[in-house]
Amino acid sequence: MIRRLWLRIRGIVHPGASERDMQDEMRQHLDRATERLMARGLSPREARAAAAREFGNLGAIQEEARDARGPWSRFVSELGQNIRYGLRVLAKKPSFTIVAVLTLALGVGANTAIFSIVNAVLLRPLPYRDPHGLVRIFFNEPGVGLRDIRFSQPELADLEQRADVFEAVSPIFEGSEIVSGAGQPERVEGLNSSFSYFSMLGVTPQLGRLFDSQDFVPGFAPKLVISDALWRRAYGADPNVVGRTIRLDSDPYTIIGVLPRGFRHPGPTVSGDVEAFGAGGFTGEPFPAPLRGKRILVNGIGRLKPGLTLARAQERLTAMAAQLRRDFPGDYPPQTRWTIEIQPLQDTLVGSVRPMLLVLLGAVILIVFIVSLNIANLLLARASGRQQEMAVRLSLGASRGRLVRQLLTESMLLSLIGGVAGVAMAVGTLQLMLRFVPGSVPRLNEVSIDWVVLAFALLISILTGLVFGLAPAFHSANAALSAGLREGGRGSGYGTKTGRLRDGLIVSELAFAVILMVGAGLLLRTLRELLTENPGFNPTQVVAASIELPNPNDPKTDPYRDIPRRAILDREVLRRMKAIPGVELAGLTSALPSTNTNPNAVGGIVNEGFAIEDRPAQSSQDLRAERIRISPDYFPVLRATLLRGRAFTEDDADGKPLVAIIDESTAHKYWPTSDPLGRRVRFGRDATLPWTTIVGVVKDIKSDGLDIDGVPHIYVSLYQDNGRRLSVVLRTSLPATVLEPQIRRGILSVDPGLPIFNVASMNAVLDRSLATRRFSAELVGGFAGLAALVSAIGIYGLLAYLAGQRRREIGIRMALGARREDILRMFLRKGVALAGVGLVAGLVVSASTASVMASLLYGVRPHDPAVFLIVPLLLFAITVFASYVPARRATEVDLISALREA
Amino acid sequence: MSRDTPSLFPGTLELIVLQLLSAEPTNGYDLSLRIQAISRDVLNVNAGSLYPALYRLEHKGLITAEWTQTAAGRRAKTYSLTSRGRRQLVEQRESWQRFAGALVAILRVS
Repeated sequence: MIRRLWLRIRGIVHPGASERDMQDEMRQHLDRATERLMARGLSPREARAAAAREFGNLGAIQEEARDARGPWSRFVSELGQNIRYGLRVLAKKPSFTIVAVLTLALGVGANTAIFSIVNAVLLRPLPYRDPHGLVRIFFNEPGVGLRDIRFSQPELADLEQRADVFEAVSPIFEGSEIVSGAGQPERVEGLNSSFSYFSMLGVTPQLGRLFDSQDFVPGFAPKLVISDALWRRAYGADPNVVGRTIRLDSDPYTIIGVLPRGFRHPGPTVSGDVEAFGAGGFTGEPFPAPLRGKRILVNGIGRLKPGLTLARAQERLTAMAAQLRRDFPGDYPPQTRWTIEIQPLQDTLVGSVRPMLLVLLGAVILIVFIVSLNIANLLLARASGRQQEMAVRLSLGASRGRLVRQLLTESMLLSLIGGVAGVAMAVGTLQLMLRFVPGSVPRLNEVSIDWVVLAFALLISILTGLVFGLAPAFHSANAALSAGLREGGRGSGYGTKTGRLRDGLIVSELAFAVILMVGAGLLLRTLRELLTENPGFNPTQVVAASIELPNPNDPKTDPYRDIPRRAILDREVLRRMKAIPGVELAGLTSALPSTNTNPNAVGGIVNEGFAIEDRPAQSSQDLRAERIRISPDYFPVLRATLLRGRAFTEDDADGKPLVAIIDESTAHKYWPTSDPLGRRVRFGRDATLPWTTIVGVVKDIKSDGLDIDGVPHIYVSLYQDNGRRLSVVLRTSLPATVLEPQIRRGILSVDPGLPIFNVASMNAVLDRSLATRRFSAELVGGFAGLAALVSAIGIYGLLAYLAGQRRREIGIRMALGARREDILRMFLRKGVALAGVGLVAGLVVSASTASVMASLLYGVRPHDPAVFLIVPLLLFAITVFASYVPARRATEVDLISALREA
Repeated sequence: MSRDTPSLFPGTLELIVLQLLSAEPTNGYDLSLRIQAISRDVLNVNAGSLYPALYRLEHKGLITAEWTQTAAGRRAKTYSLTSRGRRQLVEQRESWQRFAGALVAILRVS
């Protein structure tokens, strides 16, 4: 029993052994039989021949013997032979092999590259301790259509203590910090959280320590944790950095730790990686007193208690929210239906790019299948040339299954060689390719080729090998069975069975191409739609730059602590900008159009409720608009169209009546039937605040992105209401690069401590906002072009092959009086018929699946008639052309030689 | 493949091999000689077709093989019966005898 087991294990681990045993044994048998016959007086040659005769068909017996050992042993012993034989076959036709391997390598390489991105961004868990327990916490008011609103300190305390759901909870404040000290002030990305932030994520520092509960203070702790990058850049990786003082926005902090190299904050940032991590208690100065209605906290993240499922946690939170609404009806008006929602952190991080990445992955998979269908066709064409070989092998004792396995091994070898080449190509070019991926895709730094990616590449290689190997393998084995030896492999023509198979391959190839082209068409139409979209202003000859004012924790040290002080700075900056030669006009805004500002970031856009005078307070709860602060010349700089009323003037300053300009969306939404001019609104819920009068209506400006419509905006005067994030917009005919030094000099002359960033032309800003769409549309477009080319080659190859096969038939037809046009038409008809079936099939599939792309489209319906008309017409034209060339050649058959061949 | 000889009933060759191996362990070549000697003219088994039968029996665990030195000093693969093979032989021998007896009786009657 043990021996048997051992033999079997040996057979698996060392498959050659049992095969060698068998060969030895049979050789010995033949040797001894020969000796015996020689002893009877036969010559060595005769004896050898007689012994072989007596033994029987050696090949067939060995086949049977392998079968006798069970399927696994047979498979293993056969595999080595098949591989050796397959390699020899491939080496014998180097041109075919090279072409096939190269196309496969391209296909598998593209798949590997795209999948490595999908894997890193969508599939791989976040690089934190037990990442599945991490959630993003949203506070919503579904009753008034609001999601992810701010929350108050008492609400945070409820999550921590009352909900019985979280191990830890933290709000996240992202923002810029100005690191000062040596040299030019540097703007770095900063973050403030609760003291539990690092333990929640499970991070270990590379130097010093991280925040914990012993650091707790009600306000901001004067301590800081810095990133590896900042440590290396600003401190030259000084091992004694812990304990040193760093100034952020002029406040002194003590560095307590340095984070490990790969650490990244799991959330959106203003621009780039967070490098300075602070923490605070959110209950004391500079925070307001912890009142339930004082909602100042943003971006809650938390870790669920161990063992708690997302659904169970959500149930408890929903129940708690309901209880809170009952307990504090004043803070939670019933019609808002205030509630708490949690989502896996990973989903909230990567959800926005998921559709794009999946469409890209779908596109590359389609491409590799189209390529492999083409190779299947090549193999089928070759198979007819190998019929004789197959027949010989059958008669020498190979079973039909053996032939199929042999041919499949050849295809697999081809696809695996192509796969290895493809993976090598992907590894070699990954870093280069990642440079073309827009930076707005999260987690790009985590992209690498790991074993999951390799497994995927292997799977794709095997699948393609099966796709292009199965049909030809079964086909040739069957053909060989029927053809036998006698026919000598010169197939008399295009058998109906092979014909149908090859037609089917071409048809599916075309159908795949149609699907890809329709997808690409929709994406490209969307891009064109967005590029020609009127953003509501004229972005040419506009240069923009962003500034951020420091925000020290101690108001007394803050030179920009109130609106009048900030207004002085604003006016001074504008004065210096206008003084730059070549600048016609200068304006300021708190929110540059299409920069996709995170609405929760401090400063920037403020999305808040307002009340309208003379309307019931009840309904004022659901009045919301994005408030953007602008200087008087902002609209003229952008050439935005003021429809009614007046623009802001230098007189709309602090102490004067508050004024606002609304856009068309706001006017239509809140004053659908009446004239908004002269009406008054009040921001926030505090009834003691003064009213703001609407003095103008401006055409919609796409402030939130070219693909976002209908968000209501209210513009207010920068001199009456301002924040710390500012963008300069300049109307000039000079390029941004020329102006940049002067812009910097001008702003620094007002305050040498101000950081200046993102100096670019407005067109570049808009372009950047479309980077993700442009990337996916152009990539899928490229794939679609490739698909069209490959299927045209497929049709061409099929008809050229047919023309060659049917030379004799054509000769006879022409001898019987067929004209060249008839022959031409015969072949064209074939191409057109294939194209027609493929196009219809592809269109049907596209039409039924196009809706999955809806979230990626803008201004184009998933069943856009233009795309669904142009794609088939284009592909039809291509296939007709691809059919015409071989059809034309078929008519040029030389009658005499074609007939003589017969 | 062996055109002029009566084809064996399925499983017959395996039974013969088991029976011969029960006498003494032996190698494939000697086994083929012995089969020919015993059943000369009636069962002309192709020498080669013995091997698939041997491997089948080995795969089923009824016999086991070992490379040994023969008396003539050669290395040869020697097959011997396992205890399972021995039990199998007894069973099969009985059922064959019953079958053959019945067949003989039927042929005699008609």
